[in-house]
Amino acid sequence: MQCDEAQALISASIDGEVPDVGAGELRQHMAACAACAGVQADFRRLSQQLKSAGREILPARMETRVRQALAQAAAEHRPALIRGKPWVRQLAAMAAVCLIAVFGTWSVTRYMESESRIEQDVLSAHVRSLLQDSPIQVASGDPHSVKPWFNGRVEFAPEVKDPAAEGFPLVGARLDYIGGRRVAALVYKRRLHTVNVFVWPSASPGDAAPRLIPVNTYNLLTWRHNGLTYWAVSDLNGAELQQLQALL
Amino acid sequence: MSSRTTFEQLALPHLDAAHNLAYWLVRSRPDAEDIVQDAFVRAFRSFATFRGGDIKPWLLTIVRNVAYRWLAGRKRANNVVSIEEAFAPRDGDSVGEAWIASEEPSPEALLIGAQERARVLTALAGLAPAFREVLVLRELEELSYNEIADVIGAPVGTVMSRLSRARGELRTRLGALIEKEEKDAM
Repeated sequence: MQCDEAQALISASIDGEVPDVGAGELRQHMAACAACAGVQADFRRLSQQLKSAGREILPARMETRVRQALAQAAAEHRPALIRGKPWVRQLAAMAAVCLIAVFGTWSVTRYMESESRIEQDVLSAHVRSLLQDSPIQVASGDPHSVKPWFNGRVEFAPEVKDPAAEGFPLVGARLDYIGGRRVAALVYKRRLHTVNVFVWPSASPGDAAPRLIPVNTYNLLTWRHNGLTYWAVSDLNGAELQQLQALL
Repeated sequence: MSSRTTFEQLALPHLDAAHNLAYWLVRSRPDAEDIVQDAFVRAFRSFATFRGGDIKPWLLTIVRNVAYRWLAGRKRANNVVSIEEAFAPRDGDSVGEAWIASEEPSPEALLIGAQERARVLTALAGLAPAFREVLVLRELEELSYNEIADVIGAPVGTVMSRLSRARGELRTRLGALIEKEEKDAM
Protein backbone atom coordinates (compact mmCIF):
# COMPACT_ATOMS: atom_id res chain seq x y z
CA MET A 1 0.00 0.00 0.00
CA GLN A 2 1.24 3.48 -0.94
CA CYS A 3 1.09 6.55 1.32
CA ASP A 4 -1.73 8.24 -0.68
CA GLU A 5 -3.87 5.12 -0.45
CA ALA A 6 -3.14 4.89 3.26
CA GLN A 7 -3.92 8.61 3.83
CA ALA A 8 -7.43 8.08 2.49
CA LEU A 9 -8.02 5.41 5.13
CA ILE A 10 -6.31 6.90 8.19
CA SER A 11 -9.33 9.00 9.11
CA ALA A 12 -11.65 6.02 8.75
CA SER A 13 -9.27 3.85 10.80
CA ILE A 14 -9.65 5.96 13.92
CA ASP A 15 -13.43 5.77 13.53
CA GLY A 16 -13.28 2.00 13.13
CA GLU A 17 -14.89 2.37 9.70
CA VAL A 18 -12.16 0.97 7.43
CA PRO A 19 -13.63 -1.45 4.89
CA ASP A 20 -12.51 -5.01 5.68
CA VAL A 21 -10.54 -5.33 2.45
CA GLY A 22 -8.13 -2.51 3.37
CA ALA A 23 -7.70 -3.11 7.08
CA GLY A 24 -4.81 -5.58 6.98
CA GLU A 25 -2.79 -3.68 4.38
CA LEU A 26 -3.27 -0.40 6.27
CA ARG A 27 -1.96 -1.96 9.48
CA GLN A 28 1.15 -3.15 7.66
CA HIS A 29 1.74 0.28 6.12
CA MET A 30 1.35 2.02 9.46
CA ALA A 31 3.93 -0.20 11.05
CA ALA A 32 6.42 0.68 8.30
CA CYS A 33 5.69 4.39 7.53
CA ALA A 34 6.53 6.92 10.23
CA ALA A 35 4.90 9.84 8.34
CA CYS A 36 1.54 8.09 8.03
CA ALA A 37 1.75 6.89 11.61
CA GLY A 38 2.31 10.54 12.62
CA VAL A 39 -0.81 11.65 10.76
CA GLN A 40 -2.78 8.90 12.43
CA ALA A 41 -1.56 9.98 15.85
CA ASP A 42 -2.46 13.61 15.08
CA PHE A 43 -5.93 12.64 13.90
CA ARG A 44 -6.45 10.53 17.00
CA ARG A 45 -5.44 13.44 19.22
CA LEU A 46 -7.71 15.83 17.28
CA SER A 47 -10.58 13.43 17.72
CA GLN A 48 -9.92 13.29 21.46
CA GLN A 49 -9.72 17.07 21.70
CA LEU A 50 -13.00 17.58 19.85
CA LYS A 51 -14.76 14.94 21.93
CA SER A 52 -13.58 16.49 25.17
CA ALA A 53 -14.40 20.00 23.95
CA GLY A 54 -18.00 18.87 24.09
CA ARG A 55 -21.18 20.33 22.73
CA GLU A 56 -22.22 23.91 22.69
CA ILE A 57 -24.07 24.49 25.97
CA LEU A 58 -27.82 24.23 25.63
CA PRO A 59 -29.57 27.22 27.21
CA ALA A 60 -31.85 26.05 30.02
CA ARG A 61 -34.88 27.84 28.54
CA MET A 62 -34.67 25.84 25.28
CA GLU A 63 -36.69 22.86 26.47
CA THR A 64 -39.57 25.04 27.67
CA ARG A 65 -39.44 27.01 24.46
CA VAL A 66 -39.62 23.92 22.27
CA ARG A 67 -42.38 22.36 24.40
CA GLN A 68 -44.44 25.52 24.04
CA ALA A 69 -43.88 25.64 20.28
CA LEU A 70 -44.95 22.00 20.00
CA ALA A 71 -48.07 22.57 22.10
CA GLN A 72 -48.98 25.47 19.85
CA ALA A 73 -48.32 23.41 16.71
CA ALA A 74 -50.51 20.61 18.06
CA ALA A 75 -53.32 23.05 18.86
CA GLU A 76 -53.32 24.67 15.47
CA HIS A 77 -55.93 23.41 13.07
CA ARG A 78 -54.96 25.23 9.99
CA PRO A 79 -57.09 25.14 6.86
CA ALA A 80 -56.04 22.52 4.34
CA LEU A 81 -55.05 25.09 1.74
CA ILE A 82 -52.45 26.69 3.99
CA ARG A 83 -51.26 23.40 5.41
CA GLY A 84 -50.69 22.11 1.89
CA LYS A 85 -47.38 21.52 0.20
CA PRO A 86 -45.09 24.52 -0.30
CA TRP A 87 -45.91 24.77 -4.01
CA VAL A 88 -49.63 24.88 -3.24
CA ARG A 89 -49.02 27.75 -0.88
CA GLN A 90 -46.80 29.50 -3.42
CA LEU A 91 -49.45 29.06 -6.09
CA ALA A 92 -52.10 30.44 -3.76
CA ALA A 93 -49.90 33.41 -2.93
CA MET A 94 -49.19 34.05 -6.60
CA ALA A 95 -52.89 33.85 -7.47
CA ALA A 96 -53.68 36.26 -4.65
CA VAL A 97 -51.06 38.73 -5.89
CA CYS A 98 -52.44 38.47 -9.45
CA LEU A 99 -55.99 39.12 -8.23
CA ILE A 100 -54.88 42.15 -6.23
CA ALA A 101 -52.93 43.52 -9.20
CA VAL A 102 -55.85 43.00 -11.58
CA PHE A 103 -58.39 44.53 -9.23
CA GLY A 104 -56.03 47.43 -8.42
CA THR A 105 -55.41 48.21 -12.09
CA TRP A 106 -59.09 47.87 -12.88
CA SER A 107 -60.20 50.27 -10.15
CA VAL A 108 -57.45 52.78 -10.91
CA THR A 109 -58.21 52.83 -14.65
CA ARG A 110 -61.93 53.00 -13.90
CA TYR A 111 -61.35 55.98 -11.65
CA MET A 112 -59.09 57.63 -14.21
CA GLU A 113 -61.56 56.90 -16.98
CA SER A 114 -64.43 58.49 -15.09
CA GLU A 115 -62.24 61.48 -14.27
CA SER A 116 -61.22 62.02 -17.90
CA ARG A 117 -64.79 61.43 -19.09
CA ILE A 118 -65.97 64.24 -16.80
CA GLU A 119 -63.16 66.41 -18.17
CA GLN A 120 -64.32 65.74 -21.72
CA ASP A 121 -67.98 66.33 -20.84
CA VAL A 122 -67.20 69.61 -19.09
CA LEU A 123 -65.15 70.85 -22.01
CA SER A 124 -67.76 69.77 -24.60
CA ALA A 125 -70.55 71.42 -22.63
CA HIS A 126 -68.53 74.63 -22.42
CA VAL A 127 -67.73 74.71 -26.15
CA ARG A 128 -71.32 73.76 -27.08
CA SER A 129 -72.63 76.60 -24.93
CA LEU A 130 -70.47 79.03 -26.91
CA LEU A 131 -71.61 77.61 -30.28
CA GLN A 132 -75.20 78.45 -29.53
CA ASP A 133 -76.75 81.86 -29.72
CA SER A 134 -76.70 82.18 -25.98
CA PRO A 135 -75.01 80.09 -23.31
CA ILE A 136 -77.78 80.87 -20.84
CA GLN A 137 -81.42 79.94 -20.28
CA VAL A 138 -81.97 82.56 -17.66
CA ALA A 139 -80.27 85.92 -17.93
CA SER A 140 -79.68 87.63 -14.64
CA GLY A 141 -76.88 89.15 -12.71
CA ASP A 142 -78.84 88.80 -9.50
CA PRO A 143 -78.04 85.70 -7.44
CA HIS A 144 -81.44 85.96 -5.75
CA SER A 145 -83.24 85.36 -9.00
CA VAL A 146 -80.78 82.80 -10.40
CA LYS A 147 -80.78 80.54 -7.37
CA PRO A 148 -84.57 80.07 -7.22
CA TRP A 149 -84.59 79.39 -10.97
CA PHE A 150 -82.88 76.05 -10.23
CA ASN A 151 -85.72 74.99 -7.88
CA GLY A 152 -87.36 71.95 -9.38
CA ARG A 153 -84.78 71.82 -12.19
CA VAL A 154 -82.01 70.18 -10.19
CA GLU A 155 -82.30 68.31 -6.90
CA PHE A 156 -79.91 70.58 -5.01
CA ALA A 157 -79.55 74.31 -4.38
CA PRO A 158 -76.31 75.64 -5.88
CA GLU A 159 -74.70 78.59 -4.19
CA VAL A 160 -74.86 81.59 -6.51
CA LYS A 161 -72.75 84.73 -6.09
CA ASP A 162 -72.15 87.74 -8.25
CA PRO A 163 -68.57 88.94 -8.01
CA ALA A 164 -69.19 91.75 -10.52
CA ALA A 165 -67.25 94.21 -8.38
CA GLU A 166 -64.15 92.04 -8.83
CA GLY A 167 -64.60 91.96 -12.63
CA PHE A 168 -66.46 88.63 -12.87
CA PRO A 169 -70.08 89.61 -13.56
CA LEU A 170 -72.70 86.85 -13.34
CA VAL A 171 -74.43 86.56 -16.71
CA GLY A 172 -76.96 83.88 -16.00
CA ALA A 173 -77.51 80.15 -15.69
CA ARG A 174 -78.70 77.11 -17.57
CA LEU A 175 -78.99 73.36 -17.16
CA ASP A 176 -76.49 70.99 -18.66
CA TYR A 177 -75.78 67.29 -18.78
CA ILE A 178 -72.40 65.97 -17.52
CA GLY A 179 -71.29 62.49 -16.47
CA GLY A 180 -74.80 61.12 -17.03
CA ARG A 181 -76.61 63.63 -14.79
CA ARG A 182 -78.34 66.95 -14.90
CA VAL A 183 -76.11 69.70 -13.50
CA ALA A 184 -76.33 73.41 -12.80
CA ALA A 185 -74.27 75.68 -15.04
CA LEU A 186 -73.48 79.23 -13.94
CA VAL A 187 -72.07 81.58 -16.53
CA TYR A 188 -69.68 84.39 -15.70
CA LYS A 189 -67.84 86.92 -17.82
CA ARG A 190 -64.29 88.15 -17.53
CA ARG A 191 -63.76 90.91 -20.08
CA LEU A 192 -64.68 89.05 -23.31
CA HIS A 193 -64.10 85.57 -21.89
CA THR A 194 -66.95 83.32 -20.89
CA VAL A 195 -66.60 81.11 -17.85
CA ASN A 196 -68.88 78.13 -17.28
CA VAL A 197 -69.07 76.85 -13.73
CA PHE A 198 -70.74 73.44 -13.46
CA VAL A 199 -72.05 72.33 -10.11
CA TRP A 200 -73.42 69.03 -8.88
CA PRO A 201 -73.53 67.04 -5.63
CA SER A 202 -70.24 65.24 -4.87
CA ALA A 203 -70.00 61.47 -4.89
CA SER A 204 -67.24 61.45 -2.28
CA PRO A 205 -67.41 63.32 1.02
CA GLY A 206 -65.16 66.14 2.17
CA ASP A 207 -63.72 69.21 0.53
CA ALA A 208 -60.97 69.16 -2.11
CA ALA A 209 -58.55 71.93 -2.97
CA PRO A 210 -58.78 73.42 -6.49
CA ARG A 211 -56.92 71.51 -9.18
CA LEU A 212 -56.09 73.15 -12.51
CA ILE A 213 -56.24 70.89 -15.58
CA PRO A 214 -55.25 72.44 -18.91
CA VAL A 215 -56.99 70.67 -21.83
CA ASN A 216 -56.68 71.71 -25.50
CA THR A 217 -55.83 75.38 -24.74
CA TYR A 218 -58.74 75.56 -22.27
CA ASN A 219 -58.31 75.66 -18.53
CA LEU A 220 -60.39 73.44 -16.28
CA LEU A 221 -60.47 74.04 -12.55
CA THR A 222 -62.15 71.59 -10.21
CA TRP A 223 -62.78 71.60 -6.49
CA ARG A 224 -65.19 70.28 -3.89
CA HIS A 225 -66.88 72.37 -1.28
CA ASN A 226 -69.80 71.77 1.09
CA GLY A 227 -70.82 68.54 -0.62
CA LEU A 228 -70.81 70.05 -4.12
CA THR A 229 -68.37 69.38 -6.95
CA TYR A 230 -67.41 72.41 -9.04
CA TRP A 231 -65.88 72.48 -12.49
CA ALA A 232 -64.99 75.88 -13.89
CA VAL A 233 -63.96 75.96 -17.55
CA SER A 234 -62.84 78.81 -19.77
CA ASP A 235 -60.25 80.00 -22.24
CA LEU A 236 -59.25 82.39 -19.47
CA ASN A 237 -55.76 81.99 -18.00
CA GLY A 238 -55.38 79.73 -14.99
CA ALA A 239 -54.52 82.48 -12.52
CA GLU A 240 -57.71 84.46 -13.19
CA LEU A 241 -59.78 81.29 -13.14
CA GLN A 242 -58.40 80.59 -9.67
CA GLN A 243 -59.23 84.18 -8.72
CA LEU A 244 -62.88 83.50 -9.62
CA GLN A 245 -62.80 80.25 -7.64
CA ALA A 246 -61.74 82.17 -4.53
CA LEU A 247 -64.74 84.50 -4.94
CA LEU A 248 -67.38 81.75 -5.24
CA MET B 1 -51.08 8.88 24.70
CA SER B 2 -51.13 11.73 22.24
CA SER B 3 -48.71 11.89 19.33
CA ARG B 4 -47.21 14.99 20.88
CA THR B 5 -46.34 13.13 24.08
CA THR B 6 -44.75 10.34 22.06
CA PHE B 7 -42.83 12.81 19.97
CA GLU B 8 -41.61 14.72 23.00
CA GLN B 9 -40.47 11.55 24.73
CA LEU B 10 -38.50 10.47 21.70
CA ALA B 11 -37.20 13.81 20.46
CA LEU B 12 -36.55 16.02 23.48
CA PRO B 13 -33.59 13.92 24.74
CA HIS B 14 -31.85 14.99 21.50
CA LEU B 15 -32.44 18.70 22.02
CA ASP B 16 -28.82 19.06 23.06
CA ALA B 17 -27.54 17.37 19.88
CA ALA B 18 -29.91 19.39 17.68
CA HIS B 19 -28.82 22.64 19.26
CA ASN B 20 -25.15 21.73 18.95
CA LEU B 21 -25.46 20.92 15.24
CA ALA B 22 -27.48 24.08 14.54
CA TYR B 23 -24.98 26.17 16.44
CA TRP B 24 -22.03 24.75 14.54
CA LEU B 25 -23.74 25.23 11.21
CA VAL B 26 -24.82 28.84 11.65
CA ARG B 27 -22.45 29.83 14.48
CA SER B 28 -24.89 32.20 16.09
CA ARG B 29 -26.56 31.34 19.38
CA PRO B 30 -29.85 33.22 18.89
CA ASP B 31 -30.24 31.80 15.38
CA ALA B 32 -29.38 28.29 16.52
CA GLU B 33 -32.21 28.53 19.06
CA ASP B 34 -34.69 29.67 16.41
CA ILE B 35 -33.56 26.91 14.06
CA VAL B 36 -33.95 24.24 16.74
CA GLN B 37 -37.46 25.41 17.57
CA ASP B 38 -38.43 25.52 13.91
CA ALA B 39 -36.87 22.11 13.24
CA PHE B 40 -38.70 20.48 16.17
CA VAL B 41 -42.03 21.90 15.04
CA ARG B 42 -41.36 20.68 11.49
CA ALA B 43 -40.29 17.28 12.77
CA PHE B 44 -43.46 17.04 14.87
CA ARG B 45 -45.63 17.92 11.87
CA SER B 46 -43.97 15.26 9.72
CA PHE B 47 -43.68 12.76 12.59
CA ALA B 48 -45.94 10.44 10.59
CA THR B 49 -43.14 10.00 8.04
CA PHE B 50 -40.68 8.81 10.70
CA ARG B 51 -40.24 5.10 10.08
CA GLY B 52 -39.05 4.09 13.52
CA GLY B 53 -35.55 3.14 14.58
CA ASP B 54 -33.19 5.73 16.04
CA ILE B 55 -34.84 9.13 15.89
CA LYS B 56 -31.60 11.06 16.27
CA PRO B 57 -30.33 10.94 12.64
CA TRP B 58 -33.85 11.71 11.37
CA LEU B 59 -34.12 14.69 13.70
CA LEU B 60 -30.64 15.96 12.85
CA THR B 61 -31.46 15.74 9.13
CA ILE B 62 -34.34 18.15 9.69
CA VAL B 63 -32.20 20.46 11.84
CA ARG B 64 -29.58 20.50 9.12
CA ASN B 65 -32.12 21.29 6.39
CA VAL B 66 -33.59 24.16 8.38
CA ALA B 67 -30.11 25.49 9.14
CA TYR B 68 -29.05 25.37 5.50
CA ARG B 69 -32.25 27.08 4.39
CA TRP B 70 -31.49 29.73 6.99
CA LEU B 71 -27.90 30.08 5.74
CA ALA B 72 -29.12 30.41 2.14
CA GLY B 73 -31.56 33.08 3.26
CA ARG B 74 -28.83 34.94 5.07
CA LYS B 75 -26.64 34.81 1.99
CA ARG B 76 -29.48 36.00 -0.21
CA ALA B 77 -30.37 38.86 2.09
CA ASN B 78 -26.68 39.65 2.50
CA ASN B 79 -27.59 39.91 6.11
CA VAL B 80 -24.66 40.60 8.38
CA VAL B 81 -25.00 38.97 11.76
CA SER B 82 -23.92 41.18 14.59
CA ILE B 83 -20.83 39.64 16.08
CA GLU B 84 -21.68 41.00 19.53
CA GLU B 85 -25.05 39.33 19.41
CA ALA B 86 -23.70 36.10 18.02
CA PHE B 87 -20.96 35.70 20.57
CA ALA B 88 -22.39 37.45 23.60
CA PRO B 89 -22.18 35.25 26.69
CA ARG B 90 -25.59 33.79 27.48
CA ASP B 91 -27.17 32.45 30.65
CA GLY B 92 -25.43 29.33 31.75
CA ASP B 93 -22.31 30.10 29.77
CA SER B 94 -19.06 30.40 31.56
CA VAL B 95 -16.60 32.86 30.11
CA GLY B 96 -14.64 29.94 28.78
CA GLU B 97 -17.53 29.13 26.41
CA ALA B 98 -16.75 32.22 24.38
CA TRP B 99 -14.28 30.29 22.31
CA ILE B 100 -13.17 33.11 20.07
CA ALA B 101 -9.65 34.05 20.91
CA SER B 102 -9.85 37.20 22.98
CA GLU B 103 -6.99 39.61 23.43
CA GLU B 104 -6.46 38.56 26.99
CA PRO B 105 -7.08 35.01 28.10
CA SER B 106 -9.87 34.80 30.66
CA PRO B 107 -9.07 33.25 34.04
CA GLU B 108 -10.78 30.04 32.96
CA ALA B 109 -8.76 29.94 29.79
CA LEU B 110 -5.64 29.85 31.88
CA LEU B 111 -6.72 26.59 33.41
CA ILE B 112 -4.92 23.67 31.89
CA GLY B 113 -6.94 22.34 28.97
CA ALA B 114 -9.20 25.34 28.51
CA GLN B 115 -6.80 27.01 26.14
CA GLU B 116 -6.43 23.84 24.15
CA ARG B 117 -10.21 23.55 23.96
CA ALA B 118 -10.60 27.14 22.82
CA ARG B 119 -7.93 26.51 20.18
CA VAL B 120 -9.54 23.41 18.72
CA LEU B 121 -12.97 25.06 18.62
CA THR B 122 -11.53 28.12 16.90
CA ALA B 123 -9.97 25.86 14.29
CA LEU B 124 -13.28 24.02 13.86
CA ALA B 125 -15.15 27.29 13.47
CA GLY B 126 -12.82 28.24 10.63
CA LEU B 127 -13.72 25.21 8.52
CA ALA B 128 -16.26 25.21 5.70
CA PRO B 129 -19.77 24.15 6.84
CA ALA B 130 -19.54 20.87 4.90
CA PHE B 131 -16.40 19.93 6.89
CA ARG B 132 -17.72 21.32 10.14
CA GLU B 133 -20.89 19.28 10.00
CA VAL B 134 -19.23 15.90 9.39
CA LEU B 135 -16.81 16.54 12.25
CA VAL B 136 -19.61 17.62 14.59
CA LEU B 137 -21.75 14.63 13.64
CA ARG B 138 -18.85 12.22 14.06
CA GLU B 139 -16.94 13.54 17.07
CA LEU B 140 -19.60 15.29 19.10
CA GLU B 141 -22.68 13.27 18.16
CA GLU B 142 -20.80 10.00 17.59
CA LEU B 143 -22.91 8.97 14.62
CA SER B 144 -21.74 6.09 12.43
CA TYR B 145 -20.70 6.73 8.83
CA ASN B 146 -24.03 5.28 7.69
CA GLU B 147 -25.99 7.61 9.91
CA ILE B 148 -23.93 10.62 8.81
CA ALA B 149 -24.58 9.63 5.19
CA ASP B 150 -28.33 9.67 5.95
CA VAL B 151 -28.18 13.06 7.64
CA ILE B 152 -26.17 14.84 4.95
CA GLY B 153 -27.78 12.93 2.09
CA ALA B 154 -24.53 11.65 0.59
CA PRO B 155 -23.00 8.21 -0.01
CA VAL B 156 -20.89 6.63 2.74
CA GLY B 157 -17.79 6.99 0.51
CA THR B 158 -18.32 10.75 0.48
CA VAL B 159 -18.64 10.79 4.27
CA MET B 160 -15.35 8.93 4.55
CA SER B 161 -13.41 11.21 2.21
CA ARG B 162 -14.99 14.37 3.56
CA LEU B 163 -14.11 13.44 7.15
CA SER B 164 -10.58 12.67 6.03
CA ARG B 165 -10.21 16.06 4.35
CA ALA B 166 -11.89 17.83 7.26
CA ARG B 167 -9.39 16.30 9.69
CA GLY B 168 -6.49 17.21 7.45
CA GLU B 169 -7.74 20.78 7.27
CA LEU B 170 -8.34 20.95 11.02
CA ARG B 171 -4.83 19.66 11.66
CA THR B 172 -3.33 22.35 9.40
CA ARG B 173 -5.37 25.13 11.02
CA LEU B 174 -4.54 23.98 14.52
CA GLY B 175 -0.87 23.90 13.62
CA ALA B 176 -1.09 27.46 12.28
CA LEU B 177 -2.87 28.62 15.46
CA ILE B 178 -0.20 27.11 17.71
CA GLU B 179 2.52 28.69 15.59
CA LYS B 180 0.82 32.08 15.82
CA GLU B 181 0.44 31.78 19.62
CA GLU B 182 4.11 30.95 19.96
CA LYS B 183 5.08 33.90 17.79
CA ASP B 184 2.83 36.20 19.84
CA ALA B 185 4.34 34.92 23.06
CA MET B 186 7.84 35.77 21.96
